Amino acid sequence: MLEFTAPLFLALQQTTGLNFSPFFDEYDLGRLMTGVQTSLLLILCVLAVSLVVGLLGAAAQRSRFWVLRFLVATYIAVFRNTPPVVQLLFFYFGLGAFTPQVDMGGWYEPMISSFGWAVIALGIFGGSYNVEIFRAGIEAVPKATSEATEALAFSPMQTFVHVTMPLALRFSLPALASNLISLAKTTSIAYVIAVPEMTYALSGVWNDRLNVGEMMTLLFVYYIAVVAIISVIMGQLEKRLSVPGLGK
Amino acid sequence: MKTMMAMITTVAIAAGSSFAPTSLRAQENNAETLSAVMERGVLRIGVLGAFKPWAFRAQDGTLQGIEVDLAKRVAESLGVEAELVEVTSANRIQFLEQKRIDLIIGGMYDTASRREVVGIIEPGYWASGPSLMAREGAIESWDDVAGKPICAKQGVIYNQLIETDFGARLMAFAGNAEGKEALRSGKCVAWFYDDSSIAADLATGDWEGFEMPVDALFVNPWAAAVPIAEKDGAFGKILSGLIYGWHEDGTLIGLQEEYDLQSTAWLANMHDSFAYDRTFLAD
Amino acid sequence: MTNAVSTTRTRSTVPILLGAALLLASLAIAYLATSHIAKGPDDSPLKVLGRWIPFILEGFTLNILMSVLAMILATVSGIGLGFLQISNAVIIRQPARFVTRVFRNSPWLVILFAIMLMVPFEITLPHFGTVMIPGWVKATIGFTLPVMANIAELLRGAVASIPTGQWESAESLAFSRMQTMRHVILPQCIRRMLPGWMNWFALLTLMTPIAAILGVNEALGNTQAAMESAGSSPDLLIPFYLFLMSIFFIFIYPVSVWTKRLERRFAAT
Repeated sequence: MLEFTAPLFLALQQTTGLNFSPFFDEYDLGRLMTGVQTSLLLILCVLAVSLVVGLLGAAAQRSRFWVLRFLVATYIAVFRNTPPVVQLLFFYFGLGAFTPQVDMGGWYEPMISSFGWAVIALGIFGGSYNVEIFRAGIEAVPKATSEATEALAFSPMQTFVHVTMPLALRFSLPALASNLISLAKTTSIAYVIAVPEMTYALSGVWNDRLNVGEMMTLLFVYYIAVVAIISVIMGQLEKRLSVPGLGK
Repeated sequence: MKTMMAMITTVAIAAGSSFAPTSLRAQENNAETLSAVMERGVLRIGVLGAFKPWAFRAQDGTLQGIEVDLAKRVAESLGVEAELVEVTSANRIQFLEQKRIDLIIGGMYDTASRREVVGIIEPGYWASGPSLMAREGAIESWDDVAGKPICAKQGVIYNQLIETDFGARLMAFAGNAEGKEALRSGKCVAWFYDDSSIAADLATGDWEGFEMPVDALFVNPWAAAVPIAEKDGAFGKILSGLIYGWHEDGTLIGLQEEYDLQSTAWLANMHDSFAYDRTFLAD
Repeated sequence: MTNAVSTTRTRSTVPILLGAALLLASLAIAYLATSHIAKGPDDSPLKVLGRWIPFILEGFTLNILMSVLAMILATVSGIGLGFLQISNAVIIRQPARFVTRVFRNSPWLVILFAIMLMVPFEITLPHFGTVMIPGWVKATIGFTLPVMANIAELLRGAVASIPTGQWESAESLAFSRMQTMRHVILPQCIRRMLPGWMNWFALLTLMTPIAAILGVNEALGNTQAAMESAGSSPDLLIPFYLFLMSIFFIFIYPVSVWTKRLERRFAAT
């Protein structure tokens, strides 16, 4: 890749002074590639964890046991009303101090890496929003639907799994899309626990090369692209799953 | 998308060009500071605020430390009062250019680019370079870091060295506190930072079971600085002489011991090379 | 039907129960974290925390100051930007939408980095000479931009939600576009925007600790500095971070509860 881009971007630097070092310097290219890969993987994992947590939470909220409902309500209240950066530091440094170390052949490393903690912490943080979104989706399912399933002799569990949830998911999609986008952007704070995602990678480059403006531009373009991709996927999903006669 | 890229690039170029530092330096005669200080009866010295044990706030709120001590010695030699002004590494040079302070004694590396903007006083009064702090026995030489996670601080100029020259896996944190915390809780095998700072941490007693197992990769002197026009004027020459004297008479080595810092080869060498041979007086 | 009743009941009692439970939980965790310490009584993490609480709270005032100032700036500029977005002139509307999109789609941390690193730390004004811009002021600007873009979007959405019939009837009463906006549309928009606006205030406040990454001495920065000064013992981490989370919680939770109540009331009408 470098042999194509290097002449172009070196010329750009000579003529305009714009220093896009990752496109002609091998070390910086390496950092950029690690950044992109780590960031995309982080976003994927965090979104997945947040969805699972959201679904479990929304199901637990409908439980007959008040303790379970109370626990979910507490979880939502805590994670939506405290700073996500502090949550991340709390998980990584606070809880991370109690996780076992693994022998790497002469030296030790923690069992859960900084990437792992970022997935856990941000997934749980994002999940607290998803629970509410799914709950709203469930509440939007018309009462008549469950009455109809009762007439068809569905058990409450069958009704929930086969009728309520599929409809609720569809109703949740627009709110879900905007939450997932905001969660994907929030993954940039994994920077504070040294996860080599995009923000971390490019800030490393501008610290060494002093090309803040150029790297910042790359960073903005990257996140705008990520947001665009997620909204396209969610839009497609919404279109494919739309039920005739329901919603707009 | 194309127009968006173009717009962003324009913004970036505009932002980049606003970077050019605006220097307020004016032509001035090279004895201005000294006469102003004598007239005022006060010498204003810029020192860092949270730079233990070189300059830091004590429990009673006063500034103390090695550099504070040196600053007071300069004022004493001139027979004036010392006014300590707390600066940061980001604003100390501007403060000097704007004449808010007369002198910087603030943990500043002597570099070629700084020599272009301020009057760096030779010789340096201290020196430091990148080293490692690790659990006792974990690391024996620089080669031991290959393939292992090493904690560091974001934005430190020499961070790249440990990856490119020694093959370590760098984990850079936003602040010193997080980086060292990560070392303590076993998230990396060593903390890569300035040996002066590591020596200071070890001296506090909070880091029992840790050591600085390797010598610094390179050593960079710390220099006092005056306004650039004064470097070769009376004020600059007085400071040069004072610092020379501190090396020669053991003042600096004495301060190093007083603050429980590990002794460094650099200070010892300076002391030896500046020592004036007075044996001819013997008879 | 029974389900609906029970959820309503839980929701209304949850705030009070939660507050008490959280307080108890943090105390219990702090106690557990400290109980196995063999050091002298003065060194117990809770005692250390007690000594540093004023310092951390001092930092927290800066979080509040930054979030309140940023909210004021963002509201004013966001409403301005929102109006530009719905302007009839393409040449105004398109750039306004572009600005909104850039700041809505970029992470807070990235915008903060951009402002902190690209705005000089001092500026020269014609009459005042050189003025230093402290880090927290730059951070405030960095926090303003994303909120501004989102308030602009809120306003656009609120205006769009007003039935077009109202515009037409105002026109038939010989109202100008400006007059219609001021006397008919805006008063209704403010009500519709209020819950969203408060949501953004809460989000903004919860984001202010990222300023610590860039050296602003707010609550998180002070908490980390305090832990380091206190000897950076690992036992301090859990109580200190829990305390930090609690002060944000105590400040923001009432805002969230109130926002929810407003949302429900507006949804009902």
